Amino acid sequence: MILFKAILLFLTIITPLKANTIYDLIKIPNLEIYEINTENKLRYLYATKPFRLGVNVKYGHLKNIHCLNPNKKTLDSKYKIIKRNLNRYSSDFLKRINLKYIVLCEDLSIAKINTAGIPNNLIRTLILDIEFNENYFERAIHHEVFHIISDSYKEFFNENEWKDFNKKNFEYTKCSTCNKKWDLALYSETKGFLTEYAESTASEDMAEVFSHLMFYQNKINSDDPIINKKIKFIKKNILKIDNNFKF
Amino acid sequence: MIKKIKISRSERIILIFIIILGVFSLTSLIIIKDKCLFVKNYNPSNIQFDNPQNIAVLNAECGNVIIELYPNVSPNSVKRFKTLIRSGDYNDVAFHRVIENKIIQAGDLEFGKRENLDYGRVGTGKSGLGTIQSETDGNFKYKRGSVGLVRSFQMNTEDSQFFITLKDEPLFEGEYTPVGKVLYGIEVLEKIKFIHKMHIVPRPDFINSFKMLN
Repeated sequence: MILFKAILLFLTIITPLKANTIYDLIKIPNLEIYEINTENKLRYLYATKPFRLGVNVKYGHLKNIHCLNPNKKTLDSKYKIIKRNLNRYSSDFLKRINLKYIVLCEDLSIAKINTAGIPNNLIRTLILDIEFNENYFERAIHHEVFHIISDSYKEFFNENEWKDFNKKNFEYTKCSTCNKKWDLALYSETKGFLTEYAESTASEDMAEVFSHLMFYQNKINSDDPIINKKIKFIKKNILKIDNNFKF
Repeated sequence: MIKKIKISRSERIILIFIIILGVFSLTSLIIIKDKCLFVKNYNPSNIQFDNPQNIAVLNAECGNVIIELYPNVSPNSVKRFKTLIRSGDYNDVAFHRVIENKIIQAGDLEFGKRENLDYGRVGTGKSGLGTIQSETDGNFKYKRGSVGLVRSFQMNTEDSQFFITLKDEPLFEGEYTPVGKVLYGIEVLEKIKFIHKMHIVPRPDFINSFKMLN
């Protein structure tokens, strides 16, 4: 028994030393600093090697988030676009919503499904795929930021209240990837939803409304009463977080 | 009759050489073994300080580390740090986590004491005073020799553990509560025992004493 304890203690003590400040802070391996001296205090990191991350799933702990290290040229050009979009959020607002680290990588996927970004307000981090669909790349940044916002302020973005805006016979799917409604193109005729993807879940619907408000800088003219209610809801609750917020 | 054999010249040279080699080896061993030999030990009473009430003196194996505390940057955290220094709680506490040329960590009052060091739990101990709020909004640059309070993965979990950086750590800014900076004696900290590729230092060095100057 003593020998067993000694071996166990030895194994505990000699666990590989991860003398990596970034890993200690956000628990994502293989990252380096891209830029940390920014106006709104966001810290941009990039993957130097592919990395895998775990998320808690029903039957255990799987490392099902995967991303590759980006090409330097792509990284430099996309960084400018990302920074320009994220600079619209003040440092004060970012602090309130718990966003501090932006991880830039390529070919980001969760459970082998490609995604624009993975937000996690607990580690104050947003992982972004810099090679995400060019047509929606900028808007997707704001979409993912919204998930950070809503995760930090669940009390403001109540999904049941949101669902009541929709027609009575409408039901969202159980998850954002539970069907093939992934198109991000703006509907010419909205019928309560801005995009096909907005029809997947209440959370994605909110994120789509927010991202359109941000991307089109508050110039969504809609005759759709449902969309108008949704816009009003998003604006009202974002302003509760920061009264000086500008769409 | 036993015939006396006279030592030859070459044998004499070899003998002298062996004696010189022995003396040299012994001297080298003593010098090399004394890791503190070239470390300057600062005496705080010989130094003039602008804010002597905020000067703390940590004594380790190789000498004194003189730290200036910044209550204007993080008032509550410095208050806690001073309380623990004044109570003598940091005396005989291990430098349990040391990463070469990067960081040294100490201050586990529960599992890091010399008399009852618990290798399995050191780094997880509490002071008994409870946790305090993080104070990370102050304008503080984490340069080499910065002193900060350790927290868990979550903010507002600072207690008694502290760290001292052995290199600039810009990523620490806004993340960890700063409490001060080393003014003199950083070389004392560079001599603190570390083990490559080991998370916790076995048979670590200890804080001999930690006192406020006034």
